[in-house]
Amino acid sequence: MSEATEAEHRPLIDATGDSRRPTGLLLVGIPVLLMAWLVVWPIINAIVRTIWRPDQTGDYGLDFSSYGFFFSDGYSLANLSITLWTTGVCALFLLVICLPIALYLRFAQGPLPGFVQALAIFPMFVPSIILAYAFIRVLGPNGMVDIILNSVGLPKIRTPYLTPWGPVIGLVWDNIPLTVLILLSGLGSVANQAIEAARDVGANRLQVFWHIIMPRISNSILVALSFSILGIFSAFTLPYLLGPAAPEMMGPFMQRTFREVNDPLNAMTQAVITFGFCIAFGLFYVRSVARNQRK
Amino acid sequence: MKRRTFMISAAGTAAGMALMPRLAFAETGRIDWYTSSDTNILDFWTNTVAPAFEAANPGVSINLVDGGDSSGIISIGERAMAAKLANADPQADFFESANALLPSGAIDAGVYTNIKEAGLSNYSKVNPLAIESDYSLPYRGSQVLLAYDTTKLAPADAPKSWDDLVSWIKANPGQFVYNRPDKGGSGGNFVRRAIHQANGLDPSAFTVDNYTEEFGNDALGKAWALLQDIAPSLYDGGAYSSGNTQSIQLLAQGVVAMTPVWSDQVLQAIDQGVLPADTGLVQLQDLALAGGFTRSIVIENGTNRDAALKLADFILSEEIQSAILTELGGFPGVSWEYVSPELRERFADIVPTSIPTFPSGDWEPAINDGWYRNVAPNVDRAS
Repeated sequence: MSEATEAEHRPLIDATGDSRRPTGLLLVGIPVLLMAWLVVWPIINAIVRTIWRPDQTGDYGLDFSSYGFFFSDGYSLANLSITLWTTGVCALFLLVICLPIALYLRFAQGPLPGFVQALAIFPMFVPSIILAYAFIRVLGPNGMVDIILNSVGLPKIRTPYLTPWGPVIGLVWDNIPLTVLILLSGLGSVANQAIEAARDVGANRLQVFWHIIMPRISNSILVALSFSILGIFSAFTLPYLLGPAAPEMMGPFMQRTFREVNDPLNAMTQAVITFGFCIAFGLFYVRSVARNQRK
Repeated sequence: MKRRTFMISAAGTAAGMALMPRLAFAETGRIDWYTSSDTNILDFWTNTVAPAFEAANPGVSINLVDGGDSSGIISIGERAMAAKLANADPQADFFESANALLPSGAIDAGVYTNIKEAGLSNYSKVNPLAIESDYSLPYRGSQVLLAYDTTKLAPADAPKSWDDLVSWIKANPGQFVYNRPDKGGSGGNFVRRAIHQANGLDPSAFTVDNYTEEFGNDALGKAWALLQDIAPSLYDGGAYSSGNTQSIQLLAQGVVAMTPVWSDQVLQAIDQGVLPADTGLVQLQDLALAGGFTRSIVIENGTNRDAALKLADFILSEEIQSAILTELGGFPGVSWEYVSPELRERFADIVPTSIPTFPSGDWEPAINDGWYRNVAPNVDRAS
């Protein structure tokens, strides 16, 4: 009998005494090793190989010239700024589109929210290459939208295909599910009682949103945005298929420099600069998670 | 590629390699065949060449293996060199598409068969313009042509020279598109045609090893000026599609009236109904757009060397060479006089008087980088 009660009181993860086994460490070890091998090691390797290079005489030494070239080359800087522009615009659109969807899904009643949720999550199951071709068929020149407009006697749209807006539309659509899911989980922490209490003292919808909901989900917004920004910044397929030839986003630019221009040094330099930016976005995420756990 | 996708595929590859059978032996009477070409070529071999060859040579079969890309073929070539040193079995007899100079030293090591000396009965028919080395056999080619919409442009008015083409493009703004030169050969060879145009229409001025920065900047700079000149009259005021297929798609959707295309891809697109049957095809007659030949190689130390040589002879036969024209939409590797008169008549419009090529080597990165820096961004496009 006493044994049974003891078992009931045992915590889920037993971290005391002789029952501490390396199982947990082993389970974590595999992904950590993979991370170190496939992500951390290539990063260190790339940084070292771009700054520790042989000079004319073959002696190795510190050399920042490839970085100097990147930051003095107008073409490279234009590519970096279009990447930052695309990322910023996408983040803004994601917030404007996903927050209302998440709010609706959290507070609406009845069977309709189920369908809305399915629709919002749907992009997650569409590979980006298929999305790109669907985009061309629908929004591309003489695509479905043009045909519909034409049939009711309206002029054609100026298609976003092969302009900087092409990747923006594609990337926003692609990132809606992740953003909605993270925001929705954040909205789960907003108690109905808190909202009802605010309503009782006469708060209108906007005041409820601003003073009750926003403070509780600001963290989720930060997490959702840093997640999508990390993905968008290094996106490849959609900017490659839908974007203009120049300026190009960092993903296609790196790939092209490496394969087509046969210039691994500059490709690695571009990669190091890209993950420099990604680390900055990643720090936002880490900071907000850390702040959350301290609470 | 997203990092997550890359991780998944890398892990998958590693797992696949661990599961792969460790041992494989070449079989006598089964030719181990490798290609680096696209799926349409593999389909052509699976459905046309292999059944015909196996029917003509009972007891011999072909093991068709997709070697991936050209570096895949090079690594199998390296394996054959290592096998030669170790006196082992290279497990390879025939490369459908390879460069005799790669991997370097393969010819000196005696791994590639000298096709010229091998006594093939059909070797004398090979188009002399296409021969690059005694160790490789050009058996099919494709060339870039201009495809156009005959409802917008009458075949009689189709441009036949570069100058006609430029004046047509300028007279019909927004009706012409070519893809980025590194993303597909149709746009790539259109850009190379501009380089020929800017440098006296002399393809022999460019060789695989004569690139210098000074010559390159001068020769390419003049071509960039030509291309910048037509840029504002291109589709959407200077947009460039991201591949061969995307150009064909823009033509198929009636967005543009003309685009450069690979001969084999456009004939296949017409065949599959992607493009209408009355799509016009025209080649510039002052100097054709560049193209290229695919060259096959027989492995000297392969178990089935003699059967592979029979196969090499077989693909030069009239049966296969005609099929390359009619089924693959490629160009024959043999001279045009060995093609049946009926087919010569049917493809008269696209038969080039010459087959200019452009070397790769150091020219390729110079063109790829130079075009992006000089031609692509210099257009002020409202976006």
